Amino acid sequence: MGIFGRILKVGLAGDRLECEHVPLDPAVHRAFIGGVGLGAYLLWRFAPAGVDPLAPEAPLVIALAPLLGTPLTTTAKLAVVCKSPLTGRISDGLSSSRFALAAKRLGVDAIVIVGALDRLSTVHLGEELHRCRLEPAAGLSGASPVEVGEAFAGAHVAAIGEAGERRVRFASLANDGRHAGRGGAGAILGAKRVKAITVRGDAIATVADGEAMRERARDLARRSQGAATDKYRRLGTVSNLETFDRLRILPARNFQAVSIGRKRARKLSPEGLGAQGGHIRAGCAGCTIGCDHRFGGTRLEYESLFALGPLCGVEAPEQVLAAAAACDRLGLDTISTGGTIAFAMECAERGLAPWSLRFGDDLVPWIERIAAREGIGDRLAEGSRRLAASIGQGSERFACHVKGLELPGYEPRTMQTMALGLAVAARGADHNRSGAYQADLRPGVDRFAADLEETPPRVIETEDHAALLDSLILCKFLRGAIADPWVEGAELLSMAAGIDLSGADLRAAIRRIVGLRHLFNRREGWTIAEDTLPERFLSEALEDGEVVSRELLHGMVAGYYRARGYGADGALDGALLERLELGRWLEEEP
Amino acid sequence: MVEVELYGLPRLYAGGERCQVPAGTLREVLLAVEARFPGLAPAMLQGGAATELVRVALDGREMIESADYPLREGAVLVLVSAQAGG
Repeated sequence: MGIFGRILKVGLAGDRLECEHVPLDPAVHRAFIGGVGLGAYLLWRFAPAGVDPLAPEAPLVIALAPLLGTPLTTTAKLAVVCKSPLTGRISDGLSSSRFALAAKRLGVDAIVIVGALDRLSTVHLGEELHRCRLEPAAGLSGASPVEVGEAFAGAHVAAIGEAGERRVRFASLANDGRHAGRGGAGAILGAKRVKAITVRGDAIATVADGEAMRERARDLARRSQGAATDKYRRLGTVSNLETFDRLRILPARNFQAVSIGRKRARKLSPEGLGAQGGHIRAGCAGCTIGCDHRFGGTRLEYESLFALGPLCGVEAPEQVLAAAAACDRLGLDTISTGGTIAFAMECAERGLAPWSLRFGDDLVPWIERIAAREGIGDRLAEGSRRLAASIGQGSERFACHVKGLELPGYEPRTMQTMALGLAVAARGADHNRSGAYQADLRPGVDRFAADLEETPPRVIETEDHAALLDSLILCKFLRGAIADPWVEGAELLSMAAGIDLSGADLRAAIRRIVGLRHLFNRREGWTIAEDTLPERFLSEALEDGEVVSRELLHGMVAGYYRARGYGADGALDGALLERLELGRWLEEEP
Repeated sequence: MVEVELYGLPRLYAGGERCQVPAGTLREVLLAVEARFPGLAPAMLQGGAATELVRVALDGREMIESADYPLREGAVLVLVSAQAGG
């Protein structure tokens, strides 16, 4: 019901493919739900401790979810979970697609891929194991994910672009034109010599309470079209840019400024972008919101707009759109691409690096060099942390990443709840696993001055809320349409999968998931010293004097772990492991 | 006078980008904005209060919501969409 109780383990070796169904204890779904939670559990179980993320034995987990395949809006999503080649820590990326729906029809709750092939191939997966096969993909080398999809017309395909093939550490995994972007899952598939995965099956996960589910699906669809999602529908997230510019939140020129000025911001507003060859709206598979805005044919979100625009000093809408299209074509995470190039630009302008790259330059040639690992592009393909280490000369101070993951488009010095959220997030600087920016924009919260007592619980609440939605999986853009996500989440789980949890049980499950992600990072070498921000934010004040106090941030990090019940060094003691009912899951063999 | 700037959804619903209204309490100012831009009611503004879809930033900084909050001459109110994320 809603779940199948088994996973598909895909073993790759040389020119061989071995697939097997591995039973999944039904208790796993009660403990870890699905999506990022199930993915974290499977990563823990299948990843050898200390594994090199690009080694054959490193697993790539495609985790599905109990709500996937139901008529509920925004649930056609999957989570791609791995040890990130960019950060060396846990990484999970979500994306929505018909591929996700088709993957569930394989009759499994997740796909775990291990091993590596000796030549570029497509992995065809079927509901029946004898239909699983390999197909040489030499002819697809260098193809864009869209071109790969066209090569398998009629099939549901996930694919990497040239960047994944070249193991660029922030390469994405694309499906249906959407990308599981952050953390470099595309590089892992590239290292396994897998260009694409197709899925074909007819299995149906029966819903535990079909009548209630249909009624709730109608109700949720109705709520999803109300005023709470109007912004996403009518304007898209790109409308954040002009607002953030006004509120001095918008990172510009590698986080050296927080505004680009009203006129420039207006050029990058929905109206300004729409002037570049038109504006159309689309939606993800099975979604009634329809937040997908395309300008001149190119899909654009705020994060891509900020990273490939103001962060790199690029002002012309057509240049931003061309850069976003290039990232999609080559299979690159737009935030890390923009963040790494912006860092390289500042290094060049300070005379610390020899390349002729300046703020405002056309990004497309540089993006192409990164994807091809050509010349200097080979160094940029490693991400800003490794690039800073190779440049030295104090450049680490303004390499804007946390745990190696480049920052999203929220300035920590003028959003100090977000500053803590970015510092402690398990996958690195991240706005999707920590929605702490929501707290910063609430009345009664002073976003310019964090608080030792009040800020940590605010961060925990938004982190847990995100983990809930990402485990069920439901789109975060629904959050304004759901009065109590804990209560409704529990109801949806019961209807879909017959998993009966109270709201409190669900909270406990989410704390368990957050704890397991943290334990994975600890196992892979994390120490509390990683939970900080780049030196720029701690020592370079903005023009109005805002800076993140080093002492306060360290105090808040300590407060965060205290509030989570962890030790001062981030350790989980036996009593907490027992309370979270985590211990038994840590000892399982693959 | 109080300068009022609109961004995101408030701008879309209002059909305008800015206006000036007499200084007063937040409630009085938002009532005047509502009168100036009737399209803001009821989704964005209701009876001089911002709905859950709108945030009101004083001088682009502090988010305020108290109806009695006094807005001095020359203050700038920035009305933005409540949802950030992207």
